[in-house]
Amino acid sequence: MKIEFTLNGEKKHLDVHAATRLLDVLRGHFGLIGVKEGCGEGECGACMVLINGRAMNSCMIPMGNLEGKNVITPEAFCQSERGRIIEDAFMEAGAVQCGFCTPGFIMATASLLNANPDPDEAQIREALSGNLCRCTGYTAIVRAVRIAAGKGAGAC
Amino acid sequence: MKTGISKAVERTDARKKIRGEAEYIADRHFEEQLYAKTIRSSKAKARILEIRLPEMPADYFAVGRNDVPGLNRMRTVVSDHPIFAEEQVEYIGQPLFLLVGPDREKLCDLADMVNIRYEEEAGVFTLEEAEKQDTVFTDYQYRKGDPAAAFRDAAQIIEEEFRTGYQEHAYLEPQGIAAEYRNGILYVYGSMQCPYYVRNALLETMAIPDKQIRIIQTVTGGAFGGKEEFPSLTACQVAVAAKKTEKPVMMIYDRDEDIRCSTKRHPSLIRCRAALDKNNAVTGLEMDVLLNAGAYNGLSPVVLQRALFSATGVYDIPHLRVRGRNYRTNMTPSGAFRGFGAPQSIFAIEMLMLQIAVRLGEDPLEYKMRHALKQGSQTCTGGKVREEVKLPEIVGKIRKMSAYVKKQKNKKPFSGIGASLFLHGCGFTGRGESDIRGKVILSKDKDSVTLRVSSVEMGQGAETVLRKIVAQSLDIPIEKVNYAQVDTGAVPDSGPTVASRTTMIVGGLLQECAKEMKARWRECDRLEIEKVYQHPSWLHWDDSTFQGDAYPVYSWGANIAEVEVDPISYEISVKKIYAVYDVGVPVDLRTLDGQMQGGIAQGIGWATIELMEGEAGRLKQSNLTDYKVPTSMDTPEMEIAYVNNPYPYGPFGAKCAGELPFVGSPPAVAAAVSDALGRKINYIPLTPESLMESDNED
Amino acid sequence: MLDGYLPAKLSEALDMMAECDCIPFAGGTDLMVQHARGSGVRPCFDKTLLFVSALKELKTFDLMGKTLRIGAAVTLSELLENAATPQIFKEILRQMAAAPTRHMATLAGNICNASPAGDTLPYLYAMDAEVILQSRNETRVLPVADFITAPKRTQRKNDELLTGIRIPAAEFNVESYRKLGQRKGMSLTKASFLGLASTANGRIEDIRIALGSVAPHIVRSRKIESKLTGKNIKDIPGILQELQKDYSALIRPIDDARSTAAYRKQVSLRLIRDFLINCMLKKYRNKERYV
Repeated sequence: MKIEFTLNGEKKHLDVHAATRLLDVLRGHFGLIGVKEGCGEGECGACMVLINGRAMNSCMIPMGNLEGKNVITPEAFCQSERGRIIEDAFMEAGAVQCGFCTPGFIMATASLLNANPDPDEAQIREALSGNLCRCTGYTAIVRAVRIAAGKGAGAC
Repeated sequence: MKTGISKAVERTDARKKIRGEAEYIADRHFEEQLYAKTIRSSKAKARILEIRLPEMPADYFAVGRNDVPGLNRMRTVVSDHPIFAEEQVEYIGQPLFLLVGPDREKLCDLADMVNIRYEEEAGVFTLEEAEKQDTVFTDYQYRKGDPAAAFRDAAQIIEEEFRTGYQEHAYLEPQGIAAEYRNGILYVYGSMQCPYYVRNALLETMAIPDKQIRIIQTVTGGAFGGKEEFPSLTACQVAVAAKKTEKPVMMIYDRDEDIRCSTKRHPSLIRCRAALDKNNAVTGLEMDVLLNAGAYNGLSPVVLQRALFSATGVYDIPHLRVRGRNYRTNMTPSGAFRGFGAPQSIFAIEMLMLQIAVRLGEDPLEYKMRHALKQGSQTCTGGKVREEVKLPEIVGKIRKMSAYVKKQKNKKPFSGIGASLFLHGCGFTGRGESDIRGKVILSKDKDSVTLRVSSVEMGQGAETVLRKIVAQSLDIPIEKVNYAQVDTGAVPDSGPTVASRTTMIVGGLLQECAKEMKARWRECDRLEIEKVYQHPSWLHWDDSTFQGDAYPVYSWGANIAEVEVDPISYEISVKKIYAVYDVGVPVDLRTLDGQMQGGIAQGIGWATIELMEGEAGRLKQSNLTDYKVPTSMDTPEMEIAYVNNPYPYGPFGAKCAGELPFVGSPPAVAAAVSDALGRKINYIPLTPESLMESDNED
Repeated sequence: MLDGYLPAKLSEALDMMAECDCIPFAGGTDLMVQHARGSGVRPCFDKTLLFVSALKELKTFDLMGKTLRIGAAVTLSELLENAATPQIFKEILRQMAAAPTRHMATLAGNICNASPAGDTLPYLYAMDAEVILQSRNETRVLPVADFITAPKRTQRKNDELLTGIRIPAAEFNVESYRKLGQRKGMSLTKASFLGLASTANGRIEDIRIALGSVAPHIVRSRKIESKLTGKNIKDIPGILQELQKDYSALIRPIDDARSTAAYRKQVSLRLIRDFLINCMLKKYRNKERYV
């Protein structure tokens, strides 16, 4: 299938099998290694990207469903103003350990703050519940999201 | 604690990870790389009669035991696991051979066409069956004092049995490893904790000298013990494949494959008998620890040792008889997992002490504290507690933080509060450190230095902490301290990244190097200092009798958990965890908090939702949909504090930390559930199914 | 065989459905997992994937009179964000998977997946919801409860596309939903309970009870419900045992990796009791304020 979509601000045209996972295209074709495969079944969130501003698991997205969509990966997002605020918040809170889940959490945070710039603790925990982290016990990640929201990551 | 070494610095590996720039093994690509897919046994115990392979296209290979140039066994404590199965298979998922080729989809197609005929045999699966059939791998015992007399003179004897289940590490990065030959040298890259374990395994399996092997650790996405011994197996497999195919070979596990086939925490059955004197004090204890080691013994004997040497927890019990057995079953091999046998024993002793207190009508925390070890006490193995035991301060602090007494009084129905006291022996068990003799190198080039160790960063913060220890010892900025890529061709063997030994032992050696370097700073531009671990002369240990100092020092802690149990569904909500720890001196508070929070959460998971059951050799929960680890909605708020207790032989006074939090949270949660339901808890995980079932029985 | 096809409008999609063997593909959150082959490998489908999630005709969401009409490509997140979605339905949706999955998954997909553990099904059964099935030449409407015939089986014909769902409105003053999973966040359902009732002057005027994941199909019995309709709330305790016995005969759960048959059964009966006794009586004592 011929697919046209926007990846990190650039128009892309690809001729791929319709069932090819976006995850494999991002990693294999574009070398975007910030998108990780942790489970391949939508359970862990390590492969999360933003599609039209919302976090989704790229292991569950076939290329056929991507026509006309706007995809942002962690690499590009971290270059943005909001990305920098969230990155600093994760640093300040100590929200990173092994790091394999981290880019996915950045995406989930961005998606949450897009929809709700000032979430409370329960809303943060709910919004992050599609991402697994085995290192931190989530305490620091939840704090990072609060810090990022406080610094206006949802507003800009 | 907010100043000096404890004051947090920015983690040196974190920004790259956030931005998605860190290269994990699956992010690497080698020219002309092939992928490996493992073909596994579908039977728990069987003889292999025939293996029929599909016709292999060009560039596709089957790699099996006949391709192994050296020993077809994975080297570890007990080198019994075949690299590739021979005539016999002993567990479902045991590797038989690899299919190797350039396209992963094609490999899936080929795998679907493999046909294997087995002759099935009767297997052994549970600890009960194993005990009955006496399939014992390892049988250890030790004693202290005169247990016979203690039981003879006892005013009361209390017997209980405790069980704990499997646990899957569920590191977010699945197992991954790659091998290639370049200029006659075998390079192995991968996600691992112990590069020198991998090298030692390859020496025997590949039958080549160590000069021809280099192991390079890649960014490791969590391990928790799951990447301690297991990568030695996969490394040997891909190395054999790389040799046969003369191409680089990459092996990345699928998640369900990883859950089904890599090591797990040992399920346990622990029988306890306690002798109480007329003052209600526990004077004697018999403990019998049974661990399900799975199909191969591997490093289970050492896991069993730590379980046995943690038998009495923080308590001073004068008369002891402790026995432990590892049983062979036809289950996936059990292995290293944060806590390494101690969590099973600590759960048993904590629940036992709680139950005795409840039965006697005493306050559990006070009753426990009356038995607590003190400075100068004898440990369970007859060693000496040398450090000041700050349990009274720890307990005082946690009572206050949690408003324990007030909450106990104002308890609502189906809510509960529970406490645990615990310790963890720092570093290797027994002679471990003196056998390994870890070596570190610190070298200086003008105004910057490089530290060379084989201790890996796997998420726990080793890179930051070790650089920080060196930087602060030399009084230079942390940016001036490089952490050399862990590559066995370039770093010395500072030992494996296990046993909470990295900061205390490896960091301690680095600090010694740094002190010497500081004294000689102006001598010249280039300077290299090497230090090798020297076993302190005051430590005594007899491996044949298990007598003496099993550990040089202990870290200590207390947890208080608050839970609510749903009266209709029996679902447990852990509402809050309070924790106070003595880890000597915190080397970096933010990193340490991260270890503690993560360890607590893993412990809560093991105690509540992480159910993994075997069914005739098959694990019923074999993907992340069925095997549930806690999410952000399942982990409670945590309040954590530390008491300072500098250890003179640790860097800046540090002791061990990484495993300690895991040991503490399960018994606290179980105690709180016991309090909420008003009945004994003798097992984990406390699934709603099991709680409802046992309530029906009551 | 074509690997995938992206129709520009509904009629084109229906033509495709008529002319070749297609798998209608919306969010794909179930399909992609069911057809996954492992790390780095493309999922394997044996038919053409017909991507319908961008079809404007299926993105509609409106209230026609008192009936909620939801297009087949409306995602769960969109349902959650819409003011017209009833609160109790939102409660159910909020506990379904996690946000990233809800951003993709659709109500239509949950129905077509036809799993007894499907989270929206108890609600759709309780509300007598209907599905709209369209083919090139025909449109038919079926109750969801008839559309799903067995686990993983529906009455959808090969050339039909499920284009929308209709939920007739009804108002209740007692509403209770409980989802039991293995954990609080992101979990498949091991048992679920939905109870809806409308009462006036201490009398039950309308009551609907549906249970998920405890039998090969969603458990809802109009026969048992009719024993309650017209009754005084304070008389429920007198017939509770009989009702529980009735439900007990319909609840036929299994043991699996996520729970046990015994637990599922017992917890279902406890939830029924909790609803009939605690929720209803509480409402009775609180003088029946509408929620």
